[in-house]
Amino acid sequence: MAKLRLDKFKPLVALGVFLVAWWIVPTVAKSFLKLSFAEFQAPAWVAGSYLDDLEGFWSRNMHSKKDLQVAGQQIARAKAYYQFNAQRADTLDAEIRRLESILKLPSRREYRYEVARVIRRDLSAWWQHLIIRKGRDFDIPEGAAVVFAGGVVGRVVEVNAFTSRVELISSPNFRMAAQFAGDDRPVVYEGVAQSGFGQPTGLVRDAPQDLVANSKEPLQLVSTRLGGTFPPGLAIGSVAWLEPGSTGIFQAGDVSLDPSLLSLHEVAVLIPLNPIEIESDAP
Amino acid sequence: MLLDPRAILLFGANALLLFLMLLVNSAMASWPVYLFLLGPMLVLPALYLRHRSYFVCIVLTGFWVDAALPVPFGFFTALFLGCGALIFMVRIRFRAEHNYHPILLAHAINFILLVTVTVVSGREYFGVTIFWIHVLSTSLFSHLALLVVAPWFFNLERLLFEICRLETEPDDFPVL
Repeated sequence: MAKLRLDKFKPLVALGVFLVAWWIVPTVAKSFLKLSFAEFQAPAWVAGSYLDDLEGFWSRNMHSKKDLQVAGQQIARAKAYYQFNAQRADTLDAEIRRLESILKLPSRREYRYEVARVIRRDLSAWWQHLIIRKGRDFDIPEGAAVVFAGGVVGRVVEVNAFTSRVELISSPNFRMAAQFAGDDRPVVYEGVAQSGFGQPTGLVRDAPQDLVANSKEPLQLVSTRLGGTFPPGLAIGSVAWLEPGSTGIFQAGDVSLDPSLLSLHEVAVLIPLNPIEIESDAP
Repeated sequence: MLLDPRAILLFGANALLLFLMLLVNSAMASWPVYLFLLGPMLVLPALYLRHRSYFVCIVLTGFWVDAALPVPFGFFTALFLGCGALIFMVRIRFRAEHNYHPILLAHAINFILLVTVTVVSGREYFGVTIFWIHVLSTSLFSHLALLVVAPWFFNLERLLFEICRLETEPDDFPVL
């Protein structure tokens, strides 16, 4: 009778030992290990991003003087326009503060905008994430809102020393409070599984029965201050159709998101100047 | 020797493959293409190395992948060790010095990993058609890409052995 060779089970024994050890090891040790590996590979991505910047710089350097003059002229016009808008915004802001003090309204959350470059996009069927080139070095907090010119991008879910991971609003795990423009009743926005083809979509739930949407006049879904993360009024997407939800009490519908979400180069992280402290703010 | 230097070399090659995979995916984010090419990472360590070196290489690779992707930390490490153990136990049956068997193994393991990620990360969307469309397109494009990537990757690993003047043949087979 052939002798039973036990050494062929060595890989299975090693696997078993690893699983048991992994189960016993405290969470702190796992977090430390994860952080170490993440920090170790971050420089490659950051360096790649700086090389991209350098490439952009040299490609712009190749432009003729005439092109640069035209571009400078356009920038000067845009700057004048934005300076005028900034003055107007300051005036309106002062007016809002005056009215708020007269009406004794509670103070609003103020944010600092930290513009960050996108160094990696990871958009699959299972997750929809971005990696940005700013982390703890710029005091990016976990859970902070991330926006771009077209509205809401997502939320910071992981912060490392020099990079942060942002979960996109199209991600199946994303959820936030929202409202329709011109209607202050809250609804729920959720990210859904993406097909990968066409523009990204989401789902709106708990919309009141009296709201009607159609493709000619789609309803605009915007953020609300209810969640505490996003400032109110930021665009999320448009809803062209609403139908009764599973409960029959509220309506639900698909949300068309901005297609440029898939090719973002720069985003802004909103860092609250007066962060909510759960213990002191809780009733 | 405590650890075969080829384990470190193979781990480096795996880190490079992951970096390139994520770089391509990032560049093609607006396309309906996502490449999932983790299968080739396990093949040569399981076919070439002794158990201790194979284990170190696979654990390091697993941690590296876990840190880069938004999955629970340890998920890919355990999965890699599971798949690696299967190959390791029957490695005498495979010809490691040519690409034919390693490519087949890379496809099989890649498919197992893809199915496991789908089951773990997408349970809630099993009833959603578009989720399956995306998973199928990911699977299709990944395995098409593997036809090119896997032979290149295995040749690169063997080339690295030669450049570093290391043993270019698989280690002896303890299981007969």
